Amino acid sequence: MPLSDSPVLADATIPSARSRFPWRRLGKDAFPLVGLVILCALIVTYAFGDGSDFLASLVISACIGTISFCIIDGVRLAVWGESRRPHWLAFGAVIAVGVPAGQIFGARLAGLLLGMELKQLHTLGTTRTSGMLLFTLLATGGVTLYFAGRDRLARAEAAAAQERARAEAVERQALQAQLQLLQAQIEPHMLFNTLANLQGLIAIDPPRAQRMLDQLIQFLRGTLSSSRSQATPLAQEFTLLDAYLGLMAVRMGERLSYSFDLPEPLRTVRIPPMLLQPLVENAIAHGLEPTIAGGHVGIAARREGDLLLLTVTDNGRGPDAGPGKEGTSVGLSNTRERLKALFGERSGVTLDAAPGGGAIARVTLPMPDKHE
Amino acid sequence: MTITALIAEDEPILAATLAATLGRLWPELKIVAMCPHGQAALEQALALQPEVLFLDIKMPGKTGLEAAEELADEWSGPRPFPQVVFVTAYDEYAVRAFDNAAADYVLKPVSDERLARTVERLKARLKTEPARPDGGALETLMEQLRALTPAAPAPAARPERLTLIRAAVGNQVRMIPVTDVVYFEALDKYVNVVTSDGEALIRTSLKELLPQLDERVFWQVHRGTIVNSGCVLAATRDDAGKLTLTLRHRPEKVRVSPLYAHLFRQM
Repeated sequence: MPLSDSPVLADATIPSARSRFPWRRLGKDAFPLVGLVILCALIVTYAFGDGSDFLASLVISACIGTISFCIIDGVRLAVWGESRRPHWLAFGAVIAVGVPAGQIFGARLAGLLLGMELKQLHTLGTTRTSGMLLFTLLATGGVTLYFAGRDRLARAEAAAAQERARAEAVERQALQAQLQLLQAQIEPHMLFNTLANLQGLIAIDPPRAQRMLDQLIQFLRGTLSSSRSQATPLAQEFTLLDAYLGLMAVRMGERLSYSFDLPEPLRTVRIPPMLLQPLVENAIAHGLEPTIAGGHVGIAARREGDLLLLTVTDNGRGPDAGPGKEGTSVGLSNTRERLKALFGERSGVTLDAAPGGGAIARVTLPMPDKHE
Repeated sequence: MTITALIAEDEPILAATLAATLGRLWPELKIVAMCPHGQAALEQALALQPEVLFLDIKMPGKTGLEAAEELADEWSGPRPFPQVVFVTAYDEYAVRAFDNAAADYVLKPVSDERLARTVERLKARLKTEPARPDGGALETLMEQLRALTPAAPAPAARPERLTLIRAAVGNQVRMIPVTDVVYFEALDKYVNVVTSDGEALIRTSLKELLPQLDERVFWQVHRGTIVNSGCVLAATRDDAGKLTLTLRHRPEKVRVSPLYAHLFRQM
């Protein structure tokens, strides 16, 4: 059996962007190193020594510092990367290795550069070496603390930025949902069809055209103002649906009839705006419009204990007949998402076959506490 | 001289408006039927044989496109095939260059000016048409239908190529290699798979089946038929201009719709 090209092999030869060594970061970290090297050279020359040979001290300091730094920061970046915080014990071990190594190899390198033997610096055991080692250790510790503090700050800033981005995203989604809601409500197709009917009526039946225009104005005003509010009374929602169905009835003529059932005590109950609109649109577009005879849409509200039950019932083709027109069926899932975001698991939307043929969409949500 | 026309439109106000506007722009035109859906339009057009049809595309039951195609199938004279004008709402179908190419496509809401252009073009056509060889209006309609029928999906969006058909026959599932199929025939909610040695039903529609077939081998030749081009022996045109196919391995004759007649033109 021939071997196929293994994708694993291909992956292994191309390092992914995430695991690349952060050279840029290492370079940035090296800037404070330069200052520290000069500072150490100054201390060694003027505090420990007699003020002579600053250049030699600088070379030694630079060699030791650079090698220590490359080992410690290099290992840190290679193992933990830029953003993760190293474990203090492990990092301590890295320092414990890095410092003596830096001291020994740095001193030898400096000796080579300066053309002299710096025995007391790279041969362990002498007092001088121990002292210098301690000094290097202190310097390294200082710089490590400095880096750690700076990284902590950077991490805190990154977290804050992430939080800000999340808040912004949430806000943006809310805004987008609102926009989508608006677009869904005033579907261009519906608007153009309504205008076509209006145009016709103006010529053949001006009084009826007047009535239709009133309904259109009511519908537009209702949708535009309600999509900006948090909640609308059921009575207002039903008025809006009445305007919408009125417009649809002008278009469909005899093929569409509709009825409302809103008990008096529920008129002031507030619900999220435009909740039923997409379901009513579905009932017409998928249930009634594809049938030659058309049919009836009934919209009702009921209280069941501490739940509010809203139903949209049609006697059309039923839910199993498939979509009546092209387009994704987003109405139902959008409504579900909206309710879930607002009320969580205590709400729901279902679409079933209605007992008398056709479909029934049920919306359940918690009864609001107070009526306004 | 009066010209007869039929209007098919499911929205009563729009139908009345179109009739009124046509009455203003073209007084000699007589509307002989107003049909609320595609099926009625088909029946009335066959019965009354008007010279012009105004068909709304989106109607319940049968669309204007389906009604036009079936009318082309069933038209048998004696009068020439009618001129067809499609009327459609905003963005229902991509208008493409179609809007400039023909008077046979108007958008709702219909403007007087646009309809006047359509009327002029129809008058000109009705004058020259009788002089043209048979099938002038029909040919125009077929061009329209081809332009309006959604093109095959892009290869990326295509479902898997079908190689083997699993069809339930009694209490067994028969495996039929697609290459053995002579033709597929739509039967209500099923498709009848016909091979040289038998038939089997599968529960799908021709519409769903078509994208899964190799279009170089399997040709749609009718609303209800997809034929294996390698099994076509000959295409015969009868006196009425209707095409039928004679097949290898099968005694049946297969009807070709005018919409697909171009597949069988001689080279």
